[in-house]
Amino acid sequence: MEAPGLISEYVERLAGELDFDPSLSRRMRREVEDHLREAVAAGPVGGPEAERRAIENFGDARAIAAQFAIGSLAKRARRVGVAAVLMVAAVFIAMKARLVWYGVMECPAVPRMEALGEIVALIDRYSLWSSFFVGIASWLYIDRLRVPAVFTAEYRVRLQRFVFLCSVATAALIASVISDGVLTSFRLAGTGWSVEFLIPVLSMVIEIACAGMLVSHIRGMAQRTAATGHWSAISGRSR
Amino acid sequence: MLKGHLDMIVLAALSAGPAHGYAVIEEIKRRSGGAFDLPEGTIYPVLHRLEQAGLLAGRWVTADSGRRRRVYALTRRGDRALGEQRAVWERFSDAVGSLFRGNRPWKRPA
Repeated sequence: MEAPGLISEYVERLAGELDFDPSLSRRMRREVEDHLREAVAAGPVGGPEAERRAIENFGDARAIAAQFAIGSLAKRARRVGVAAVLMVAAVFIAMKARLVWYGVMECPAVPRMEALGEIVALIDRYSLWSSFFVGIASWLYIDRLRVPAVFTAEYRVRLQRFVFLCSVATAALIASVISDGVLTSFRLAGTGWSVEFLIPVLSMVIEIACAGMLVSHIRGMAQRTAATGHWSAISGRSR
Repeated sequence: MLKGHLDMIVLAALSAGPAHGYAVIEEIKRRSGGAFDLPEGTIYPVLHRLEQAGLLAGRWVTADSGRRRRVYALTRRGDRALGEQRAVWERFSDAVGSLFRGNRPWKRPA
């Protein structure tokens, strides 16, 4: 009765260590269980001792999970790179949609705000282009980054560089969204509330949501980088 | 040193044909004459990474035991990558071999 327990216990422990990626955890549970049971079956004698030996030969669950964590982190980084470009594109589309709507509805800017509006529009334009180019640069950077087998100090520095690039793109995007907010309020100021405002307001909500999502992605990425580095160091020392 | 070449070792083991994780590690032990005795679990992050990179293709099959197992096979890209890595390794190995063979003493300047 003890024999199946040992393998199941080990597989559960490994699956628990892999809980940062639920689908990977499920997959490894199945693969590793098959591996260990085959290793036991291939040995001259079965029983708990054979199971213990198979588990010992397989290696420390935490050390194996740490190696998976690097791959998972790399996958997440690539997703953040793609998100950076997509969010900037979404903000651009929302902004353009709002301008088209103003044209269709013949909604002019408030005259006394025109001078200030030009300055804010300039900030908006340059911020958006900056976020677009830096976002593309960060995506290209992470897409071409080779993922090492172990979490090295060099890889950590490169990931931190990527997070910095994404943060710059996000800061520029936030500046653009704030400028858009100011310009939208100039356009709508002084006029009474009507249903026509729904599109500009909705487009602003989309812009704010995009910027917020990007901030959340980058924050998560920075935390994961730090945690994986810490975890790899611990499991490296325990080996 | 072994860790830096694990990708190449796994690709080479799979060049014989599709295999599951346990068979891959057994093949590595067999072909290396037991010299590469890694913790067996080390192979799985490598298999996963190579599959993500498109160098391996994995699929679930049902073994004779009735258990589900994942079998990996080299993709065309994986085969090409193995060829490239083998060429690099052979050049490196030849160069190191030449260094060890050429062990004559330095000529002292007069």
